[in-house]
Amino acid sequence: MKSVALALAVVGVLAVAAAAQDPPKTFVEARGSVKPVPLPPGGPPARMADGHVDFSGVWFPGPTGKANAWSVVPDEPVKEDPIPFQPWAREKYDAMTRTEKELFANANVQCLPPGTPGTFTENPYAIQIITTPGLFVHLIENNNRWRVVHTDGRPHPPKEELEPLFNGHMVARWEGDTLVIDSISIDERTWIRDGWFHSDQLHVIERLRRPSRNYLQYQFTIEDPKVLTKPWTSAWRTYSLSANDEDLTENFCTNNQQVGQLRKLIELEKSQGIQR
Amino acid sequence: MRTMRIALRTWRPALAGPVFAMAGLLSATAAAQEQQKTFIEARGSVKPVPLPPGGPPPRMADGHVDLSGVWFAGPTGKANAWSVVPDTPPMEDPIPFQPWAAEKIKGMSRTEQQLGNAQVTCQPLGVPGMWTMNPYPHQIVMTPSLFVHLIESNNNWRVVRIPRQHKPKDEQELLFMGDTASRWDGDTLVLETVSLDARTWIQGNGWFHSDDVRIIERLRRPSRNYLAYQYTVEDPKVLTKPWTSAWRTFSLGSEDLTENFCTNNENVEQLMKLYQQERGNR
Amino acid sequence: MTAPIAILFGFVVLAAAAPARAHHAFAVEFDAKNCADVTGVLTKVNYENPHAYVFLDVKSPEGLTEEATFQLSSTSNLRRGGATPAVLNANVGKEVVVRGCASRNGEKHRYAASFIKLADGTIQRLGQDVEGIFGTKIWR
Repeated sequence: MKSVALALAVVGVLAVAAAAQDPPKTFVEARGSVKPVPLPPGGPPARMADGHVDFSGVWFPGPTGKANAWSVVPDEPVKEDPIPFQPWAREKYDAMTRTEKELFANANVQCLPPGTPGTFTENPYAIQIITTPGLFVHLIENNNRWRVVHTDGRPHPPKEELEPLFNGHMVARWEGDTLVIDSISIDERTWIRDGWFHSDQLHVIERLRRPSRNYLQYQFTIEDPKVLTKPWTSAWRTYSLSANDEDLTENFCTNNQQVGQLRKLIELEKSQGIQR
Repeated sequence: MRTMRIALRTWRPALAGPVFAMAGLLSATAAAQEQQKTFIEARGSVKPVPLPPGGPPPRMADGHVDLSGVWFAGPTGKANAWSVVPDTPPMEDPIPFQPWAAEKIKGMSRTEQQLGNAQVTCQPLGVPGMWTMNPYPHQIVMTPSLFVHLIESNNNWRVVRIPRQHKPKDEQELLFMGDTASRWDGDTLVLETVSLDARTWIQGNGWFHSDDVRIIERLRRPSRNYLAYQYTVEDPKVLTKPWTSAWRTFSLGSEDLTENFCTNNENVEQLMKLYQQERGNR
Repeated sequence: MTAPIAILFGFVVLAAAAPARAHHAFAVEFDAKNCADVTGVLTKVNYENPHAYVFLDVKSPEGLTEEATFQLSSTSNLRRGGATPAVLNANVGKEVVVRGCASRNGEKHRYAASFIKLADGTIQRLGQDVEGIFGTKIWR
């Protein structure tokens, strides 16, 4: 199926770049394919009555203010430091098969709570944030989850009063125009991402800023002295305000067939002695 | 092993508040049926004390009542799941089921009812299920243009723009939360929901609905410490006429919602065993 | 179910719905007429939803050790009632008494718990008052 649409001009570039490795492909014009157009900054960010930046809005990963899961332009790889695993942790991570990582690591596969920072990092879908003075409310489509954090700079309770929670115990404070969310006591069944497990000493520091009306930026730091040799900080990730004033859509995990399938695969792998 | 502290208590309905008065009335009638029981003083038991009204409700910048807050079922502003005073049933009309619907519900064994109950199976509670099938507290976060409803049960949320029209019929799809139109009627927030997935129930007793059901919910905050909720069900395929609930009372709490993810549901398996035994016995 | 449905389920529909509603759910799976004080060593606490669970090692009449499973209320109710993970976990390895009502489906040693007497003698509520022992009049 050949097409002379403008889209081909864009993907034509990709075809050329990939040509060295792959034979020439036939491109298909399909409804749903997205040609990403980044939003302009849109002016200064909104502010609440107390003067702090207002993060309220429906936000999409990436710069387009729209879902770009089916973008015809690949995402730019984010430049980040390698994960500074301790040797024992590196061994454990490397020993996981891809299927194990997929089944046990990814909360979305098992429809488990994504945790912190999973609510942002294990989530390719739109999010909705509502901030009011003193409160940060974070809604995600993935299995209809929410988290609420007080932003008045209150401390964590003493250690003896804490218990492991999927989201951990979260508090937040403002550092200028950046909201800093500090989380501890996170259930060890959650994963940072892609097989990156953690200990009960995990300490997550998330930073959110809204440099302009249309853009949200998110960064997180992982401290885990039992698993890592040193703290690790992600790159800043870009989110953009819904260009079409969309709402979040419903997304309940009511028919998860993946788990059964993946378990079968793991059994197969084990019986065949497949390691990686 | 009777080394437990035993306290024999009789309830005096002398304390203020309708809760205690009703409890006294009920205990008089129930006394005839029950023998004197040994009572146990256990940590966690709750002696309910209703909150005062607390003054006028707060308002948002646009003048509308602000429904924001953490709300507990009942008048105490706290969890009362383990209240030593039984709940008083609200006065409501009988549900006007069509004969076939009443038959269907009567035909469900208790076990089948449990297996169809979203609270038991950890399925989305839907509308009005988020209120009617949920004994845990709610959090409402409200702005002039947004109504955000968070519940502990399975960490569910619901967001409705204010004001909002329904989507055009040809754009609607059946959803667990349905499609909700919203408007203010004076100080009452009115939410009208259609296009509801038929897997949700109106109440946990098996009251199912058709996909043509229309739910009208009303929320008002008569005073700072109280929230009142009422719902109407219109379902011409299941009911003989519309039905409206009593107003239900919620009260302002000072706590946060706690985490409640459904990650270890053993009930379904246990109930399925029971169900299979029941079927084997028929 | 001979009672008119509406009146029967009137109880279930309360604003403060938990006790009546839970009776309904409780009575399906567990038998409120088949309850006992179960003594054993607390071995594990599973603090999850929709129901938390505790496990006791109990001695059979023959002297064998068997595991008893107790279903508790939700963590929402447990926390607010004082049965926090810290309180329960502090009793792991110790002898406790749990008041439980047996499962109806024939599973051995499976109960719904209403209270636990901790090692220090404190009685902590864990669930609904299905026997009316905490002072709540039961309806069914």
